[in-house]
Amino acid sequence: MSENIRNFCIIAHIDHGKSTLADRLLEHTGTVARREMKEQLLDDLELERQRGITIKARAVAMDFKLGGKTYELNLIDTPGHVDFQYEVSRSLVCCEGVLLLVDAFQGVEAQTVANAYAAMEHELQIIPVINKIDLTHARPDEVAEEMMNSLGTDPDECVRVSAKTGEGIESLVEAIIAHIPAPTGDADAILQAMVFDSNYDDYRGAITYVRIMQGTVRTGQKIQFLRAGTQHEVVEIGRFVPHRESCAELKAGQVGYLICNIKSIGDVHIGDTISRAGSGAAEPLPGYARPKRMVYCGLFPSDGQDFSELRDALERLAVNDPSFEFEPETSDALGFGFRCGFLGLLHMEIIQQRLENESDIDLVQTAPNVTYEIVNKRGETISIHKPQDVPDPGDIEEFRQPIVRCSVIVPNDFIGAVMKLCQERRGIQQSQEYLGAQRAMITYHIPLAEVVYDLHDKIKSCTRGYGTLDYEMVGYEAADLCRLDIMVNGNRVDALSVVCNRADADRRGRAVAKKLKAEIERHMFEVAVQAAIGSRVIARETVPAMRKNVTAKCYGGDITRKRKLLQKQKEGKKRMKAIGNVEISQKAFMAVLSDNEQD
Amino acid sequence: MDSLVDVWPTPRAAYLHVPFCRHRCGYCNFSVVADRDDLIERYLKAIDKELRILGRPVVDTLFVGGGTPTHFDIKTLDRFLGMVGQRFQLADAGEWTMEANPEDITSEKITLLAEYGVNRISLGVQSFNPNKLALLERGHSAQVATAAVELAAEVIGNVSIDLIFAAPGETLADWLTDLELAIQLPLQHLSTYALTFEKGTRFWSRRERGDLQSPTESCEVDMYQRTRQVLAESLFKHYEISSFAKSDARCRHNLAYWQGCGWYAAGPGAARFVEGKREVNHRSTTTYLRRMESGQCPTAETEKITREQYARERAAFGVRMIDGIDLDVLTSETGISIAEICSDSIGLSISEGLVEVPSPHWIKLSERGILFADTVASRLLG
Ligand SMILES: Nc1nc2c(ncn2[C@@H]2O[C@H](COP(=O)(O)OP(=O)(O)OP(=O)(O)O)[C@@H](O)[C@H]2O)c(=O)[nH]1
Ligand code: SF4
Ligand SMILES: [Mg+2]
Repeated sequence: MSENIRNFCIIAHIDHGKSTLADRLLEHTGTVARREMKEQLLDDLELERQRGITIKARAVAMDFKLGGKTYELNLIDTPGHVDFQYEVSRSLVCCEGVLLLVDAFQGVEAQTVANAYAAMEHELQIIPVINKIDLTHARPDEVAEEMMNSLGTDPDECVRVSAKTGEGIESLVEAIIAHIPAPTGDADAILQAMVFDSNYDDYRGAITYVRIMQGTVRTGQKIQFLRAGTQHEVVEIGRFVPHRESCAELKAGQVGYLICNIKSIGDVHIGDTISRAGSGAAEPLPGYARPKRMVYCGLFPSDGQDFSELRDALERLAVNDPSFEFEPETSDALGFGFRCGFLGLLHMEIIQQRLENESDIDLVQTAPNVTYEIVNKRGETISIHKPQDVPDPGDIEEFRQPIVRCSVIVPNDFIGAVMKLCQERRGIQQSQEYLGAQRAMITYHIPLAEVVYDLHDKIKSCTRGYGTLDYEMVGYEAADLCRLDIMVNGNRVDALSVVCNRADADRRGRAVAKKLKAEIERHMFEVAVQAAIGSRVIARETVPAMRKNVTAKCYGGDITRKRKLLQKQKEGKKRMKAIGNVEISQKAFMAVLSDNEQD
Repeated sequence: MDSLVDVWPTPRAAYLHVPFCRHRCGYCNFSVVADRDDLIERYLKAIDKELRILGRPVVDTLFVGGGTPTHFDIKTLDRFLGMVGQRFQLADAGEWTMEANPEDITSEKITLLAEYGVNRISLGVQSFNPNKLALLERGHSAQVATAAVELAAEVIGNVSIDLIFAAPGETLADWLTDLELAIQLPLQHLSTYALTFEKGTRFWSRRERGDLQSPTESCEVDMYQRTRQVLAESLFKHYEISSFAKSDARCRHNLAYWQGCGWYAAGPGAARFVEGKREVNHRSTTTYLRRMESGQCPTAETEKITREQYARERAAFGVRMIDGIDLDVLTSETGISIAEICSDSIGLSISEGLVEVPSPHWIKLSERGILFADTVASRLLG
């Protein structure tokens, strides 16, 4: 009965209330009883609850009666942060429509625009929703106008709700049923299902999340993954309500999960197509474009012994998050580890935290960097994922860096401040548009390296929190770059090298040396830190030798307590790597990002 | 052999903790109650009950610490000492130490202590400098401290004092003056401690606020090195990181801790080592009392240590003694060869010049290693 199905996702800028709106929909449709309700119920990852943001898209099926008919509403709550754009684009493929949510006070922001365009590209029906109308400073009429100006939505079609109080939810559900088209797939056709997500369960193996495009899948049926070329028997089928609830079959248009007793995690690929086994399978679906990794860093186990454990943990995590990549890396300084690519810094932080939470490995992470391109003297173009791979200056014909198109939405009063900031970051202005009387969208081309680390924070702080940033890759451009090396007691530490603009190199070198001096603990001997470009030393700092490490205190009877204190000194050595005989902490590896001597 | 080394040392020492103080000093994080004399009666009953079950063992050393054991009034002190005498039998030539604060010392109290057999007294002098004493919130003056030492020396004989250095604002010259005054007194023993800031004390939060500042590390090192020099010239032998003694006046009780002997302990926060178990009583005096009164066990933490841990602890705490440790004795008494299991860490400490090997099987801190005793010890702990 696919005419009674509505598949939609909620998309918005970060914090505009998607997950809270999902709570109200779960409640209004009776999917979750009020007493089981908690705030942002779908944000059930530990990290999501800690940080109060959505990281993973979450699907949930809701049954709802209206006008004598029972509808199946399949909702996908998506993350709003720019780093998780890929989660949104995967969700869009499973839907016929979206709720485009805008905060009634904040108005249209950078990711509102980015997400709206993504929905349009997928030709999805957009229901504009203005949320948080309960706020005292809500300005729904102006926001409706901003939406019209920037996204072309009709102010009369905006549904006004408060995900907090529940106001307007009823008419929203009616609008969903009335305006979002039902899926069109034929339930009797050959099975064709899109794998849009997966995770790994220790007991059940891989859980595959699917949207059935056409046909029907039943328990016991033999299926195949078209891209992986593997065949499996379906052990369990079900829907998310929001926990897993098994059912006998899933038909065209429905969203749910399959369990096939797949224990090898490499067998499930997000973006793969499922069809019936044997010959006469359906055509594979286009799948997903692999997202562009924006930043790379090295991850090394503090204890070299944990290398294979780290590999296992990375593989497991990759099942649930196909957007980060990793490959083995060897560093003279850090030993064996992995070079990992991420969609942004938040993504990097989250992956690292999940690795530590889920696997109990103590990690040392090198400073993030972007991917550069080098054309060497032989005319070959090479991608550089880590600074230590930058060849000698004599072998470089052209050094290129990635450029992104940044869209910043700001209140008019702050345009000047933002423009100044973008120019300092070597940005080139592309355009400026007014979204309404109050706000504008400015577009710049800026080197990615100037954007990823902290541009968003800087924009926030120079606009009192009102400015928002979105960016996308444009391509590579030649620039006057060089590799800045760090030497510790005379030895170059490959993992501390960075790429920077030649014009900034002296300032950067001094800043990094100073920061490292502050971060490297004192040793039994003096530690010299130098920054150099090629053979030219541009800064030198010295960490003086420790003069004592003794507690002149009577160690009386409480030996256990004193022993623990002494052992704590050892504990403090976690997240440390020994480079030669110098111990370098995690924080010191990040010191190379500093570009300001005052920092 | 195996059964032999599995035997844990029979306790020949006892520590009793008296938690009462007139006032809690700003740097103090000991198990102490200030201005709670109303608890004294309950305490006497409780500790007596805790000791009764031991069955009057013979001990070579008794140490009554605190808190301030001499804070008791003379009648209570009399009852307390009587109780201790009933619960333990001090071996011939045994050492019985009482900690005391100078302001409590009267000839009446001192005589009473001597009558019960107390033969060593450890006075919490800390300084003779009025500003430093005020900063440390101590309740005595230099005159009171000097008089207390003299009186105790006359009646008891064996007197030790504690001195604190590297107090906020203190200069090397200030400290040398304190030392000079100390060595003119009739002392057998001296313990010098660098002031440490402990979490949960008022000093800690004052330092967090920026209200207090410790002297620099190099000033602290200078103070310590000069202490060793000055005391050596006055015939005090440096025998442990913070302990100095005239000829044969080392504190035998503390040596028992450092040499891995067993000992009994009673009172709030007291730590004992009996039958291979390290146990600590509850640190809160009121909880301790409640537990004893309701027939519960006062122990808050118990740790059964392995032979290897035992050997490592003996090495780590033993190495703080300036003469060092005989690894062969350690092996024969623990069944574990530290030389083997710690060969890397000992090798590292030797190569860094922190540890010396004065004769085969011995290790000791080098002159430089004395300043890095914690580094050496934590390596031995593994
Ligand atoms: N006053 C008011 N606050 C709301 C409303 N809806 C959401 N909020 C609050 O806005 C904050 C963000 O809500 P979320 O639902 O987590 O936002 P989100 O869009 O899911 O955020 P991300 O998933 O991180 O992008 C929370 O503090 C909510 O309580 C509303 O209608 N009114
Ligand atoms: S007298 Fe001693 S035990 Fe009592 S509070 Fe002061 S430092 Fe602590
Ligand atoms: Mg959310």
